Amino acid sequence: MLIRCVLALWIVFGSLGTASASGPDCSRPYTLALHDHGLLYSAATDTGIDKDVADELIRRSGCKVTVSLMARARIWQLIESGALDFSLSGINNAERDKFAAFAWYFSNKYYLLVRKDSGVSNRADFERNEKLQLGVIRGFRYSETANRLVDRLQATNRLSQAGGLAPLYQTLILNHIQGMIIEPFDYPSLEEKQIRDLSTIIEFNDPAVPHGLIMSKKALPTAEQEKWRSLVTEMRRDGTMRRIFEKYFKPDLAAAMVEF
Amino acid sequence: MASERTPISASRLPVFLPWLILVVTLALTWLVWDHERQLARKELRTQFAFVLRETVSRVEQRVAGYEQMLRGVQGLFATTALTNRRALCDYVETLQLDANFSAIQVIGVIEQVPLASKPAHEARMQQLGFTGYAIHPEGEREVYAPIIQREPDAGGKHSILGLDPWADPARRVAMEAARDSGMAAITGKVRLAIDRRQEAQPGFIMYLPIFAHGQPRDSVAQRRANLIGWVYASFYMDEFMAGLYGKQAPGITLAIYDEANPVEAALMYRTGESTDKGLPAIESLLSANEYMVVAGHTWTLSLSTQREFEAWYGRDVSSVIAVTGAGLGVALALLAWLMVTGRARALRMAAEMTEELRHVAQHDPLTGLPNRALFSDRLHKELARAKRHDGQFALVFLDLDHFKPINDNYGHAIGDLVLQQVALRLKDTVRESDTVGRIGGDEFVVLVPELAESDAALSLAEKIRQVIRQPFALDGRQLDISCSLGVAIYPDDGIDEISLTKRADEAMYRAKDDGRDSVRRAS
Repeated sequence: MLIRCVLALWIVFGSLGTASASGPDCSRPYTLALHDHGLLYSAATDTGIDKDVADELIRRSGCKVTVSLMARARIWQLIESGALDFSLSGINNAERDKFAAFAWYFSNKYYLLVRKDSGVSNRADFERNEKLQLGVIRGFRYSETANRLVDRLQATNRLSQAGGLAPLYQTLILNHIQGMIIEPFDYPSLEEKQIRDLSTIIEFNDPAVPHGLIMSKKALPTAEQEKWRSLVTEMRRDGTMRRIFEKYFKPDLAAAMVEF
Repeated sequence: MASERTPISASRLPVFLPWLILVVTLALTWLVWDHERQLARKELRTQFAFVLRETVSRVEQRVAGYEQMLRGVQGLFATTALTNRRALCDYVETLQLDANFSAIQVIGVIEQVPLASKPAHEARMQQLGFTGYAIHPEGEREVYAPIIQREPDAGGKHSILGLDPWADPARRVAMEAARDSGMAAITGKVRLAIDRRQEAQPGFIMYLPIFAHGQPRDSVAQRRANLIGWVYASFYMDEFMAGLYGKQAPGITLAIYDEANPVEAALMYRTGESTDKGLPAIESLLSANEYMVVAGHTWTLSLSTQREFEAWYGRDVSSVIAVTGAGLGVALALLAWLMVTGRARALRMAAEMTEELRHVAQHDPLTGLPNRALFSDRLHKELARAKRHDGQFALVFLDLDHFKPINDNYGHAIGDLVLQQVALRLKDTVRESDTVGRIGGDEFVVLVPELAESDAALSLAEKIRQVIRQPFALDGRQLDISCSLGVAIYPDDGIDEISLTKRADEAMYRAKDDGRDSVRRAS
């Protein structure tokens, strides 16, 4: 009896899903990967902006989506190969545009966090001093100027790669790296006294970079990408996205991030 | 004038041009060499970055592989009770922990036991046959997490059933992380409970949480509330590393440290002992630390290259370029030098050869004296000069007396030596302006130009006669030779070459006829 009820409900909801022209195709389960990064997602607490966005997106799509945690570099790899359908808070570049489609939902600037005792007061200072090492997360790209800095330092073996944000803060404290690139999601760590006391923030003079839902082009036909994109657009339009960001940021910063 | 200027400008350029070519080619060589060296360095760095990424990836994959395996155990307990000992035993047996899983020392189950349930728990375990089972370390704690099963079963002797890893802060951190995240978490560097060696072997433990069936686990609070235990797998680090897939690049030393600070106390693994011991350190050696995050825990992977790596991946052709370029530069400069000096050298050589030919054509090869042709030429000139200035000059003919017997008795070699010495004595005796020539066999002739008075010619002839009379020392023997001389004077004895020659010759024969060894004037 119970099974019959569930089946009936499933058929009703299923037919509703297909009836609405804008809804994504839920005939197969999807995969979505999160990466552990500051306020975007914390595996320790299983919470974060990306988790909230994912939950809402999954709810609105009506599809079955398996969510897992992965290193960012692996996420890009699997998006490219088509083994993974979605991820969140991705930024594009020419190379990624070849294999991934994006649905933007917020934008933010990048900053250079440096140790005060490194004698660095601007980006050029950092680049000039050959003793300084920059810590980055493997697989991450940033705004234009930040990318240029990273690429130049990479060419001279001055980059320290990490699998996540936490070790970068630790190595910054140990003075094994003297700088790292941060985003607003990394602010809570900056409120820790030890890091606040020894570091200072330098702005890259780049415009804010849009971040969005990452969709694997190999896994999703263009028409499906459009359907998922309109779900994101709808979340922005009806204020859901802003409400999610307001859970983590002061209202003015949240507004600045989602309204671009 | 024009014919003089050309050789001057052509001889100035050559000095400058080869040097210019040398400098330019060496500078170009340096540029190419430097560019190639930088390219080689860049390529080496790219290779190194690739090896680093690859190594990190291999370690991550291996951890992920073990996590998958442990998820299988976790999945097993989604279908049965934590206390279903038979299930885990069969499961592990099915897994067949062969070489592929050789790093796993133990797969075990931990049950979370609140303080209130401790006596009941211990009693139940004892009933199962584990006599003397007790949670240890002892002491009253709010919650216990004793190991209730471990596979493969070591057979009791060192049984660690009842051991409470929750009491160890290093293990507890990972157990909490697994519980709160619902995902796999590993400890830092720990000494495994089964490690009985005197010196601890670096190891780590991976935990996955087990939640009560049918209970929500969507938030940290729900997960904490519904946790019933953990499954775990413990590893020795060196065995874990030995099981990595793929092959480590040659000439690489690899170390793994617990957490983000690579200090000796945190060292978990090191391989590829330095092969460069005793060799001076070189600047170009590459090294890098990567801070990996594996199952929520940070490991520092420290990679550095040895010379072998550079030998393997370096395509250092800079030395080839340097040698080839420098060699080519020198060769080009040399070629340029040969080309620009070629004309001057050819002209000089032609002049030298012409001079040599002329000398050969005009001189007697035996004595080096002017031959008949040259002598005749000089005579003509003197004739013309004397005619123009109303001057006089003398022609002296000389023939050695009894020369033929010398050739016959002593051989031609001695005869030739006599002729050479006679030539020398003649040249030493006459004035600088006089010309001595050899006109045949033992016949010599002397042209005495610009003669002030005719007696001077006769006294010169007399002087010659006496000089020739001096004994010749030849090849260790002494020879006495004399000569007969005839003198003809222009214009008194003739006014042209034929008459003068004839008269001088006649005079000489008269001297011969008169008993030799004397001087006669043409008459």
